[in-house]
Parts: sequence; structure tokens; C-alpha cells
Amino acid sequence: MIAFQLLINALALGAAYALVALGFVLILNATGAVNFAQGDLVMAGGYVAIALAPLLPVPALLLLPLVLLVMAVLGLLLSALAYFPLLARPPSAVFISTIAVGIVLQNGANAIFGAAPRAAPPLLGAGDLALGGIVLSRQSVAIIAVASLLVLVQHLIISRTQFGRALRATAQDREMARAIGIGANAMIAASFALGAALAGAAGLLLANQFFVTPTAGSDLVVKAYIAVAIGGWGSLWGAVAGALLIAVFEVGVSSVLSYTAAAAGLYAALLAILVIRPQGFFGEAAQRRA
Amino acid sequence: MTAPLLAVAGLGVAYGEIAALRDVSLTVGPGEAVALLGANGSGKSSLLRAVMGLVPIAAGSIAVAGREIAALPPERRARLGLGYAPEGRRVFAGMSVDDNLDVACRGGAAERRRRRTSVLALFPQLAEHGSRRAWQLSGGQQQMLAIGRALMTAPSVLLLDEPSLGLSPLLTAQLLARIRTICDGGTAILLAEQNVVQALAICDRAYVLQTGRVVAAGPARDFAQDPTLRRVFLGADPARSG
Repeated sequence: MIAFQLLINALALGAAYALVALGFVLILNATGAVNFAQGDLVMAGGYVAIALAPLLPVPALLLLPLVLLVMAVLGLLLSALAYFPLLARPPSAVFISTIAVGIVLQNGANAIFGAAPRAAPPLLGAGDLALGGIVLSRQSVAIIAVASLLVLVQHLIISRTQFGRALRATAQDREMARAIGIGANAMIAASFALGAALAGAAGLLLANQFFVTPTAGSDLVVKAYIAVAIGGWGSLWGAVAGALLIAVFEVGVSSVLSYTAAAAGLYAALLAILVIRPQGFFGEAAQRRA
Repeated sequence: MTAPLLAVAGLGVAYGEIAALRDVSLTVGPGEAVALLGANGSGKSSLLRAVMGLVPIAAGSIAVAGREIAALPPERRARLGLGYAPEGRRVFAGMSVDDNLDVACRGGAAERRRRRTSVLALFPQLAEHGSRRAWQLSGGQQQMLAIGRALMTAPSVLLLDEPSLGLSPLLTAQLLARIRTICDGGTAILLAEQNVVQALAICDRAYVLQTGRVVAAGPARDFAQDPTLRRVFLGADPARSG
């Protein structure tokens, strides 16, 4: 019983991580650059939900479309400030500029909301669901459902639509994409919008159970990075799988030992992966590493 | 005479201090297949890339159907009717064959299907591989895919950069015959080729580039029948390069 409930908690956490990691990979694929502000975008999404909640007293699930929209705009802003001005510079310039944007977001959140942890309303309502002899947190189940839906929608957009094809073509060969008429810069901006929207959704999902603080993002970007390293650079499904693995590992180890032990184990695992199998365990051969 | 579909005048391209193209002028008219000949490093690829907007130009003008395009980004040029199949094919390796084709079409779903059907009719070898990833295709199939992808943009002028590179003589002959078919279907062709004899056989006119300049131009037939021209400008031994 306990094990099952832990598994549900782990899956809920992993589902939220998966959204963060997916957004991270989308931007990585489109630009070849690591977006170190990805974790801070999660934090920002949490605060957007917290700011919207008193204005619209509805379950957080209904805030989701608004959060996605606001965060997509923030993603466009991020690309305009931290990516496009640096097109002619080496990728490391973008690493640094996204770190800078992350710091701005952290301090902005601190100035507006203060450093104390805040919580967003639950997705559907608080309390537990009793299924037979099993008691499940309503919030965890809702997180899993919402995140699965978002991953599925994202997958359909990327794999089935003309927009998704253009995104992938731009990610694979930007110059060639332009030579067949694709506005590559628009596609890159769209990748930032999509990546930020997914991060924001994760922020909303996590902001009830796990609270939000201005610095909550730094931890999450590392987890996205590890998930992507496990999943193979550039692989979307690999990132999802990596995120789930991380969460199961984290919840499992912290239930037996401690959260600190789980974090230490995670970093050790990342080092081992980077040394032993840098292409990750899932995706195709890495195109580029960041 | 009608206005040329593609008109390049006084074109100069430089990589740093090194001039890759100097004062190059050429035209491609409606329904024409034009060969661009020259040894390795003579500037053929630079010319096609400059026309497509993939390298900056230092001088000159480029016009498509009378419209100056030299200041436009590559995607705008593609939408104005330039199709491009680059050297080395550069198919989207991780995408399926169908996606490689579809992504290049800016029309709706019905238009995509219509164009895909006509591309697959031209290259039946691709039809059975629709859902395979492009990297799984053979070199010849990848070349067909690169050309097919360019055709999906419904270009008025198709720029082909060394389509026979790495292909067997048999495949090369088949592919060049197909390129003539494309031209006869109403798409003008500018074909950069090292395979001099076969390129001349399917083209109407030819330009010869040497160290970035046009050193000879004329009807393909004249080049084909004049061994001196071929030896002097192309370094081709007629007995060998057939």
C-alpha cells in the first residue's frame, strides 16, 4: 500500500519534471543552447498561478490555459532578450544570458512576492481519493493526468502538424529549413514559447504540494539537465523517461534514507552517465552536446 | 524574348580576403535547363548558395522573374520560387521521408498531398519508404528526397548542387534523366555538375566557371561537340568522363 502511494507521488513529481525537461529539450533542439532559465520559468509559472488565484477564485486547473498563455509570452520575451541578440556569438554567450535572465526572474519574484514559500490552489480540490483500500492524494492524481495530457498534446503538435514538422526541420538544419521557405527565427521563437509554457505548467502543478520560493528553480533546472542527459540529448521521449526515473529514484531514496541522500545519489548518477554513456540511454545518437 | 526567371548580374562573393566569385552574370529562362560547369573550387556551390541567400554577396544583383531579391532572407527567396537541393543532400535525417517532403509545402493539406503524389510519381523509389527515417535511405534515395523536397515548394527555378555526387554511373544517368523530366514539366533548372558530358546532354545551355569567373557560355550542344573547349575549360578528357 505504502509502496503504491509512494509510486503515485513519484509519478506525479516525475510528470511535472517531465514537462520541465520537455521544454528544456525543445529549446535545446531549436537553438543548440542550454536554457539555464528553464527552472526559473517553472518558478515564474508557479507565481503566475499564485498571482492569478485571488483574481479568479476557481480551481487551479482552470487557471492552466492562462498560465500557459502568460508563460508563452514570457518565453517569447526570453528569446528576444537572451537569444536573438546573441545569434552571432558562440553558444556559451546564450548559456550566460539565460543564467542572467534566471537571476532577474528570481529577484523579480523576490521583490514582488517575497522570499517566504507560497502555495497555489490545488488543481481540483484538496483531500484524498479512496479507491478500494488505497488512499491517493487528489492533487497527485490530477498532476499525473494534466501532465500526461500536456505531454500528449505536445507530442501530437510536434509529430503530426505542419507547425511541428517545421519546428523539427529547423532544429535539425536551420539553414536548410530556411532554404525551403521556413521562417526559422519564428520557429525558434515558437520553441521558446512552447518550452516556457511547459515549464509554467509544471510550475502550476508543483505550486500546491511543493510550494514556490524565488529560488526554487535552480534545483529544477539541474533535474531537467539530468533527465535530458539520461534520456539522450535531443530526444523528447528520452527526456520524459529520464524525468520519471529521477522522480522514482528521488522519492524512493528519500523514503528510505533522506532527501539529501537522494540528491547526492542523483548528482553521482549524472556524473557516472556523463562519463560512461554521454549519449544517454534512450534517444538516437546525440547531434550536439551542450 | 521573355524576361529570364533568374537573372544574376555582376555577382561577387568573398570569404574574408578571398574572392570566391567575381563579376558573375548568368540567366535562366523559362523552361530552360542550364548547366553550371567547372572544376572543384571554381565557385559553383558559392554561386548557388549566394542565389539562395545562404552566403552574403559583396556585389551584384539577383532577380527572380524581374524582382530584385538580393536583400531578402533565404526563406523569402524560397517562397518567391527558388528551389534548392544542396550539395551533400542535407535531408532532415531524423524525420520520415513523408515529413521531409511535407514540411517544404506551404499550402494546405490537400495541396501537400497533391504535390507529394507528383513527387512520388517522379521518384517511385521513395514511395515505398514514406515512413522511414531519411538517414536510413541509400545515397541515391536521399538525393531524390532532397530534390523532391525542393519540388514540394513548387519552385519556378530549381537550383541543384552536384546531385550526382557519390552516385554510381547508372544512378547518375537515371537521376539526370529525371532532372530533364522536371525541366520538361515546366520547372527551370540551374544544375551545378562535375559530370560534364552527362550534364551537357540534358541541358540547353551551359556556363563554365573558373576560379570564380564565367570563362565560357553558350549552347550545351556547342560544348558537347567541341573537345577543345572541354579540355581547356573543364579539364575533362572526353574518353574518360562519359
